[in-house]
Amino acid sequence: MTRKSSRREFIRRSAAVAAGTFVLPQIIPSTAMGMGGRLSPSDRIVMATIGTGSQGNGNMREFLRLNKQLQFIALCDVDKNHLEAGKSMVDKANGNNDCRTYGDFRELLAKEKLDAVSIALPDHWHGIIYTEAANAKLHVYGEKPICRTIKDGQTIVSAVKKNNIIWQTGSWQRSLFNFRRGAELAINGRAGKVKYIEVGLPDGGKGIGTPPVQEIPPQLDWEMWLGPALKVPYRGVAHWDWRWILDYSGGQMTDWAGHHIDIANWGTGLEHTGPVEISGHGVYPPEGLYNAPVEYDFLCKYANGIEMRVANASRLPHKMGTTWYGDLGWIHVDRGDVLTASDPKILEEVIGENEIHLYKSDNHYQNFLDCIRSGNQAITPVEVAYRAISVGLLGEIAMTTGQTIKWDPDKEVILDNPRASRLLSRPYRAPWTLPTV
Amino acid sequence: MKKQYFLLLILALLVSLFSGCKKETGYKTLIITGQNNHDWQASSPVLKTILDETGLFSCEIMTTPEKDGDMTTFDPDFSKYKLVVLDYNGDSWSDKTNSSFLDFVKNGGGVVVYHAANNSFPAWKEYNEMTGLGGWGDRNEKDGPYIYYRRDSLIVDNSPGRGGNHGKRREFLVRTRITDHPVTKGLPARWMHGNDELYSELRGPAKNMQVLATAFADSAAGGGTMRDEPMLMTITYGNGRIFHTAMGHADKDGGPAMQCAGFIVTLQRGAEWAVTGNVTQKVPFDFPTAAGVVLRTDFTELTFEEALGNITNYEIGKSTKSLVCIQHHIADLAGDEIALLEVEKQLVGVLVNEKTTTEAKKLLLRELSWMGTEYSVSAIKELVGNNEIKDEAEFALARLQTGK
Repeated sequence: MTRKSSRREFIRRSAAVAAGTFVLPQIIPSTAMGMGGRLSPSDRIVMATIGTGSQGNGNMREFLRLNKQLQFIALCDVDKNHLEAGKSMVDKANGNNDCRTYGDFRELLAKEKLDAVSIALPDHWHGIIYTEAANAKLHVYGEKPICRTIKDGQTIVSAVKKNNIIWQTGSWQRSLFNFRRGAELAINGRAGKVKYIEVGLPDGGKGIGTPPVQEIPPQLDWEMWLGPALKVPYRGVAHWDWRWILDYSGGQMTDWAGHHIDIANWGTGLEHTGPVEISGHGVYPPEGLYNAPVEYDFLCKYANGIEMRVANASRLPHKMGTTWYGDLGWIHVDRGDVLTASDPKILEEVIGENEIHLYKSDNHYQNFLDCIRSGNQAITPVEVAYRAISVGLLGEIAMTTGQTIKWDPDKEVILDNPRASRLLSRPYRAPWTLPTV
Repeated sequence: MKKQYFLLLILALLVSLFSGCKKETGYKTLIITGQNNHDWQASSPVLKTILDETGLFSCEIMTTPEKDGDMTTFDPDFSKYKLVVLDYNGDSWSDKTNSSFLDFVKNGGGVVVYHAANNSFPAWKEYNEMTGLGGWGDRNEKDGPYIYYRRDSLIVDNSPGRGGNHGKRREFLVRTRITDHPVTKGLPARWMHGNDELYSELRGPAKNMQVLATAFADSAAGGGTMRDEPMLMTITYGNGRIFHTAMGHADKDGGPAMQCAGFIVTLQRGAEWAVTGNVTQKVPFDFPTAAGVVLRTDFTELTFEEALGNITNYEIGKSTKSLVCIQHHIADLAGDEIALLEVEKQLVGVLVNEKTTTEAKKLLLRELSWMGTEYSVSAIKELVGNNEIKDEAEFALARLQTGK
């Protein structure tokens, strides 16, 4: 937010790095215009998207509904088809053909003058790219789960804090009425004192067996797609279905931890801490390329005595969603506007003036833009997102090792267990390293 | 002294012989077959193999006379057995045999009702109380309600209609309905079953019965009820416990319905529960999930030692079962440092074996990266110079440095 450069300087720099001699459109990041680093309401926020697959372009579609407040100028993806899809969307919104495209995020970050970036990538890339974006002092709308490992998460959190940027996590459920209302009822004790929470996340799906090595599609930069992950040959799985492979994701469980565990934390006041003990088990496919657990069931104990069970939906009475159990009843929230309680009267309760009122946002994307202008924290700031996924990642470690894990949520270390501690990070394949903050 | 050692050796040999000879120590089990509208000559030896493999049972197969034969010659001494497995759908037994079987169950004997055995004896009231549900044989509303799940509710449906139906054979998803029963504890909530007949519209007295698992009978395969039909049931009768599996349609040599690891393991667990009321068997690594069907072509579980042997040949595109077996074994040994070190040494042994494929080495390095000790570090350092597995070796070494 302190970046200073003149309009002329910006245009010259951009032109210098452009391959051709064409005239670049004169879009200037609002932060470049002075205002003490703060945007004025009339300034359009200059943005780029890194990762223009289904989720990245989906987010961009939502941002483009707010097009008067922002402007996308550049995109980056390792798949040229994804880039094309993104570019046509942006160009249509901008009424020109000027959106620039990149296959390497480093080039985009070096060449483009931006205020903010929307990032939607496979989890194994989050550590590097979120940190680099924060180090470039860009505001970030980042997809959940925000990290593949605890170590990645810790680095991202420090980068965001040190660079003092606005961070919004794609945990958009927070901006829906039923989730906020359910969480607010729970945290204000309308089900009584909450002692136990159940979080139901999706069941795992079908496998694809053990496909052979395949030719890399010409539009895909497979080496860059893998990035810091161990090199493996292309076997027909990249976009979307990376979620079922442990090198890139922890499966449905880690994918959804940033939603329903986040909501559970929100309504219980656990947003800035973590469990002290985690135990449970996962059901893994007995063979196949997809090796993430298809079922999981683990229990987290917190220092204040609260317990949170996280399991695949089929195992739980309320299936998907978050359920707070207090000594007076329960409250359940889920997608599809689900907000139910053991007694319907609970749902009619009014929250008094002096009680806890949770952060209110009606549009997750607007909230991000508003916070860029106001300097306020967004509704799902980085540490909150890190605390949500760390529950899932610690559950994954308990399932992998078959052990009860002791976690110190203040020092953020696993106690007395070298094997489990090793699973807190994944070494990066050279030349990639986790950036320093 | 030497003589004493020799005697000790003989003794050790004898002990190992006897401990390997599980048949002598298992629960005596009688598999009854001999008539069936299914291939009982294929299924009954498979049932024996499946139960004997656990080491808990010692099975013998007894065949009844053929159809229209003299049933008075079929007169087992049930009191010799702890468990009776019914692979029988045919002529009525003699009154004497019926009554001694009833006594066996009432007095606490265990029973396994397998697939078409629930078609048998439609007119024998007590038998139907033992099976809980049955099909065909002119069963209809007079025999009891339909029992099924609709969403998460168990429905008792007294509407009139046929008893027993199935569509075309297909693979189908089984849902565990009671997760804290000894038979189902620790099993996946959803798992794919091998190609089988999906029995639907079973009806019966359903007294003292619990439905442990169901499968959705869609209409696409014909005979579909669009209901979640009972697949695994437990029934108590007198002091006896009955485990009822509606699955396992036999082909020659068993076929996929019987090779399905889910069928095999639920049968093994159900049989133990029928004898003791408890289950001591661990859930194996290859229990199927919603991800897909898992077949055991020889009906037995892959052991860790076999997995270690198999993994040396791993190539991309081949089964990863051996790796998952090894991973499961490691998690099973959690906390047992001595056993884990032994496993680590075995893994390193395979890793440094010249015959082990490059792809297998890569898989093993990933495992050792977190479960290894200093023992692995020195072995892996030797491998960093090997360009084919350099990345994985560096990955493992880097991770082994953390968490110290």
